[in-house]
Amino acid sequence: MIELRTVSKSYNKGKVKAVDDLDLIIKPGEIFGFLGPNGAGKTTTIKLIVGLLKPDKGAIIIRGLDNQKEALRCKAMTTYVPDYPAVYERLTGLEYLNFIGDVYGVSRKDRIERIEKWLEIFDLGQAVSSPIQSYSHGMRQKIVLMAALLPAPQVMVLDEPLVGLDPRASFHLKEIMREHCDQGKTLFFSTHIMEVAEKLCDRIGIINKGKLIACGSMDELKKLNHEQQESLENIFLELTEK
Amino acid sequence: MKKTWSVVRVGLKSNFGLAVVRHRLFKEKKDRWLIPLIALAFLGLAPTIYGYLSMIKIFYRGLLPLGQQHLILTFAILAGQVFVLIFGIYYVISAFYFSRDLDILIPLPLKPFQVMFSKFAVILANEYLTIAFFVLPALVYYGILAKAGLPYWLYAVVIYLTLPVIPLAVVSLLVIGMMRAVNISRKKDALIIVGSLILIVLGIGLQYVMGRTAGSSPDPQAMLRFLTNSDGMVQRFGAFFPPSIWASKALARGFSAGGISNLLLFLAASLGVFYGILIAAEKLFYRGLIGIGEVSSRKKLLSRRDMLRKVSSGRHPVLAIFAREWRIMARTPIFLLNGVLVVIIVPLIFVVMAQADISRGGSSAMLRLLASVKPIISMLAGACFMTFCSCLNGTSSSTFSREGGQFWMSKVIPVPAKKQVIAKFFHSYFIALLGIVVASGVLLAVFHLKATVFAGALIISFAAAVALTAIGMAIDLARPLLDWTNPQKAIKQNLNVLLGMLADIGILSALGYFSVFLIKRGISGGGLFVILLAVLILLSAGSLRFLLKFAEKRYVRIEV
Repeated sequence: MIELRTVSKSYNKGKVKAVDDLDLIIKPGEIFGFLGPNGAGKTTTIKLIVGLLKPDKGAIIIRGLDNQKEALRCKAMTTYVPDYPAVYERLTGLEYLNFIGDVYGVSRKDRIERIEKWLEIFDLGQAVSSPIQSYSHGMRQKIVLMAALLPAPQVMVLDEPLVGLDPRASFHLKEIMREHCDQGKTLFFSTHIMEVAEKLCDRIGIINKGKLIACGSMDELKKLNHEQQESLENIFLELTEK
Repeated sequence: MKKTWSVVRVGLKSNFGLAVVRHRLFKEKKDRWLIPLIALAFLGLAPTIYGYLSMIKIFYRGLLPLGQQHLILTFAILAGQVFVLIFGIYYVISAFYFSRDLDILIPLPLKPFQVMFSKFAVILANEYLTIAFFVLPALVYYGILAKAGLPYWLYAVVIYLTLPVIPLAVVSLLVIGMMRAVNISRKKDALIIVGSLILIVLGIGLQYVMGRTAGSSPDPQAMLRFLTNSDGMVQRFGAFFPPSIWASKALARGFSAGGISNLLLFLAASLGVFYGILIAAEKLFYRGLIGIGEVSSRKKLLSRRDMLRKVSSGRHPVLAIFAREWRIMARTPIFLLNGVLVVIIVPLIFVVMAQADISRGGSSAMLRLLASVKPIISMLAGACFMTFCSCLNGTSSSTFSREGGQFWMSKVIPVPAKKQVIAKFFHSYFIALLGIVVASGVLLAVFHLKATVFAGALIISFAAAVALTAIGMAIDLARPLLDWTNPQKAIKQNLNVLLGMLADIGILSALGYFSVFLIKRGISGGGLFVILLAVLILLSAGSLRFLLKFAEKRYVRIEV
């Protein structure tokens, strides 16, 4: 459902290679966890998938469509949560959700149903009529997550979605992520929390210095590891040390 | 002291972004195309500066026999200080209270005065650049004409560097006091706007008084009389604002006892007032600042009934983006002041100036002039005034920049760039129309234009505003400023806004010359109207088409 074909992206006129010949396939119904040290190329990869950045080389295919050539159709089935929830702070939470509903063409019936459901789950019922400016970091993260869930997209791309969330919201989000993929949809997310990746993901990719250094299910990753480490944390540490 | 300098240095560096400019120019080689453009813009200013220098020369020669030539310096210094006094308000409010780096600075072990000093230094540096255009030519050319020696040039440097301190300190005191009062209230944004309006009204009032005393006669003899007259503006304001008199006397008298004492007086006054605001800052600054960014909202659970009422049934994406643009502009004080209120205030300033003129019997002459010229000339003048008032607000040329860090949403939503730009165009154009409507009101109320002349001017300005809005947007789209931390940077300190205004002035001047050319060739009024309208419709259609095509390319290339 998401396919990266030898994708490269560099900055500073090619001097800094952020993503280097990346090949990756994420299948339908799969939760894919993307790990890597700071500056490894995780956010750049994510921005390339959602069309915020243009690849220097290669192609990104979302459900059979090239995200550069069929940008609008790809955007219509993808939603994205950035690593920092920079949203329209002068709008109220509900105005923001309405805006997202309008631009993704969500019907009124679906909007009411979904907003009601997520408001309760994320406990934002009291804040949603206030300007986003008055929200805490965690509340902003929740409203951005709600906006990403509102169109019920085929593909969700989340950059460190658990940062700033309280334990309850974090728990619910993990459930939502699972539900999303159980419907045959795709979820790609980056994280630094190894336990979450280990328990939640169907497959995990580890990126370092722009190159994918490991990719597979937990069992497959364990086999890759020469010292037969049990935890993802140890595997990650060993692989990224090189 | 070390801490103070350190925070001032960081403030200056982050505000003027020299490292970023260097990086973009020499490493990424992104903004190089701007260098010839800016050079061209400065070249465009050359005739104005030449005219200004010629005027100084005339005054110098006129005042020399009276031994009053130093009044040129008083006038320039006074003008610089009054300018800082009026326009410093915007800078101070946004730099002191709306810079996002304040969130980083407040928790640091710094005293309030140190944080304020850093902000003050940034505004001061901005003011040096702003007043350079009219103060520096006067200081330098006077020195050349008077064949001044070393003391003059030395004093000139010291005085130029000190010049904005007093007015800026006065404005800072007013603003710090105002914000302290405002911050006790829940409706801070509204109070900030009301407070700013009061300060702006004071500014306009000052202009009214200046207008009444100064007059606008281009006759050099009359200007000389106005400069030397004991009841003239310079004398009056000099008496009201003695530091400018001290500064000009110091410059004129050099190293003599009189010169040194006046310089010391000027420096002591500046230092004294500056010290005063540091004390005020220590007591009032944080009390007005802390929590200003917080929005206390009534937390009320959204009932099902409320939700059913508030959830929209699905608007067209263009309408949704149009509504978003309005909401964000109306709820961000800096955007509202510089976008919407400017188009209301600029025409009103003209009313005030015209009223001041009427009180001296001047406007009747203007009215007679307007009545005596051909209707087509008064129509052109009216159209020019309306267009001028509508386009000089920076809404169109900051439309992408204002999104800042939130531009990622415009990139990921499934709405074509074309449609997004159409929504933004309507938003900017509506604000331009608001300017035209207010300007029309002014024209009707003050100059009593004939209905046909008025209608013609209105049609021309509607067409011109389409082209100027589209061109302003294209300029901003070429290099949107998205990494700002202070919304002021997106609209007030955005080079795109300046470039947009220069483009507007250039286009209006070109159309003006074109009209004069046709009139000299004996074209009829109706003929000129039709030709101008046709040119403007073509220009509008062309620039809109270009903007939409350009948007499709740029939205893909802008990386966030």
